[in-house]
Amino acid sequence: MRSLTLGHYLPGNSLLHRMDPRVKLVSLLVLIIALFVIETFLGFMLFGSFIFMIFLSTRLPWRYFFRGLRPVFLIVLITLILHFLFTKGGQVYVRWGPLTVEEAGIYLGSFMTLRLVLLVTTTVMITLTTSPIAFADGIEYLLRPFRRMGVPGHEIAMMMTIALRFIPTLMEEGDKIRKAQMARGADFETGNIFRRARNLVPLLVPLFVSAFRRADELAVAMEARCYRGGQGRTRLRELQARPLDYYGLTTVTAILVFIILTGV
Amino acid sequence: MFIEVKNLTHVYMPGTPFQVNALTDVSLDIERGEFIGVIGETGSGKSTLVQHLNGLLKPTSGEIWIEGNNLWSSKTDLRRLRSRIALLFQYPEHQLFEETVFKDVAFGPRNMGVEGRELEERVRYGLEWVELDYHTYSQRSPFSLSGGEKRRVAMAGILSMYPEAIILDEPTASMDPVSRKHFLARIKRLHQEGKVTVIFVTHNMEDIALLAERLFVFASGRLVLQGQPAEIFQSKETLEAIGLGIPVLTDLMQKICRKGKTIRTDIFSVEDACREIIRSRREGVG
Ligand SMILES: Nc1ncnc2c1ncn2[C@@H]1O[C@H](COP(=O)(O)OP(=O)(O)OP(=O)(O)O)[C@@H](O)[C@H]1O
Ligand SMILES: [Mg+2]
Repeated sequence: MRSLTLGHYLPGNSLLHRMDPRVKLVSLLVLIIALFVIETFLGFMLFGSFIFMIFLSTRLPWRYFFRGLRPVFLIVLITLILHFLFTKGGQVYVRWGPLTVEEAGIYLGSFMTLRLVLLVTTTVMITLTTSPIAFADGIEYLLRPFRRMGVPGHEIAMMMTIALRFIPTLMEEGDKIRKAQMARGADFETGNIFRRARNLVPLLVPLFVSAFRRADELAVAMEARCYRGGQGRTRLRELQARPLDYYGLTTVTAILVFIILTGV
Repeated sequence: MFIEVKNLTHVYMPGTPFQVNALTDVSLDIERGEFIGVIGETGSGKSTLVQHLNGLLKPTSGEIWIEGNNLWSSKTDLRRLRSRIALLFQYPEHQLFEETVFKDVAFGPRNMGVEGRELEERVRYGLEWVELDYHTYSQRSPFSLSGGEKRRVAMAGILSMYPEAIILDEPTASMDPVSRKHFLARIKRLHQEGKVTVIFVTHNMEDIALLAERLFVFASGRLVLQGQPAEIFQSKETLEAIGLGIPVLTDLMQKICRKGKTIRTDIFSVEDACREIIRSRREGVG
């Protein structure tokens, strides 16, 4: 349950927390584009200090930030090693049998690593400060223009909301069933991989049964309240952009323009 | 001493904004053969406590000792322990998974290494205890049963392990009055005739007053009162302050007593209460 930090919301009251989810999504997109436009280390440094300042302002514990990076740590490491070993060009720094580490490798490796780390950091920061419900609302709104092309924005958002709503419930339920079976002597911890997989049956069967039961109940409950998709549906919390949101959007756009114009 | 809990503290999700101090510095002990009631309002930490008694949860701090051995020392065989101190969870009907009732009830003993004739005997015992006919039910799918029947199958699955102690976490929640009364009577027999230690978790005072020899009362993760039911129910104000009450009968007897009549207040069944009231009236007249 604790390992699901990528996308785990932490309630709070900072500027970033209070921003409109649509603005946050668009800003995230702009920032990601900016990251791919950046061409120099100086650019990364400027970008990094901007993200760092925003991160400080959210007052999120550092722990979360690092925990969010953990899942991609391996990818970053592999990128770094591959570049170090196989990108050739420039001065040779290390020679070790047939393997060499050359200038271009170090340059490109660090470059890519920085880009990846900043990408994940920015995304983690946004997901940590945006409630899943707000996120889904934002996506629904942003998908609206594509409705004519047949993109079911409302349905996608509704599915996301429901899935997100039930992830903690199912985890809790899984935990309970696991304990209940352990109380009957079930063993989830020892044995080889096949044995372990088979031992999961007492956990998975009740979990699926309960997931289907819940889905069924939810469908009935939605139908009983006359749910029939997004058409003409009003909402409890209207999304509303405030000055803060415009400032935010202006800032990130300015950053993108600055990067493109100066070529850092 | 059978079970000893020493300064047990449990914190869920420590170090996150979702941190919950579920239990704080709880110490208690339970003798073999006792009938223990654990009461407290919703969220007071009852389920958290009982999951420590058979090693399903690890204390944040503090210790659990079973028969003089520290439960979290390396030599304890947790799986064996869990078959000796069995725990039936709240809403146990959700734990069924096998194709047939027989297999499901046999799951516990099979994990202990029981096979063949003995296994069948245990399943039969379990099903008979919950009054499900072995022939009618053993080959049915547990998913085709009613909610109440499922719950009974789950109970049978615990009893088939022949536990020395049985922990029941709100077993009577959402039972109809008749089944509830019946169930309580069977638990009482299990305790008296089977010499099984029973730890009964509930927030229903009426359930517990008749059965338990000793009560542990919890509020916000702390053990606030312990003792025999009659003693505990003297502290009506404390109990009400923490969201519990006292049984209706006790309340009645205490009220009569306060009117200056000589009457016993440690009475928990309607029949006894009638007799006592009649006796007291006669005395008053005579
Ligand atoms: N797995 C868990 N993760 C996080 N918090 C939990 C977990 N289980 C319980 N809690 C919290 O710990 C506290 C004590 O819960 P517990 O289940 O022990 O209460 P309880 O006395 O059994 O209540 P009830 O009568 O409702 O069953 C509650 O505040 C609950 O929200
Ligand atoms: Mg409970």
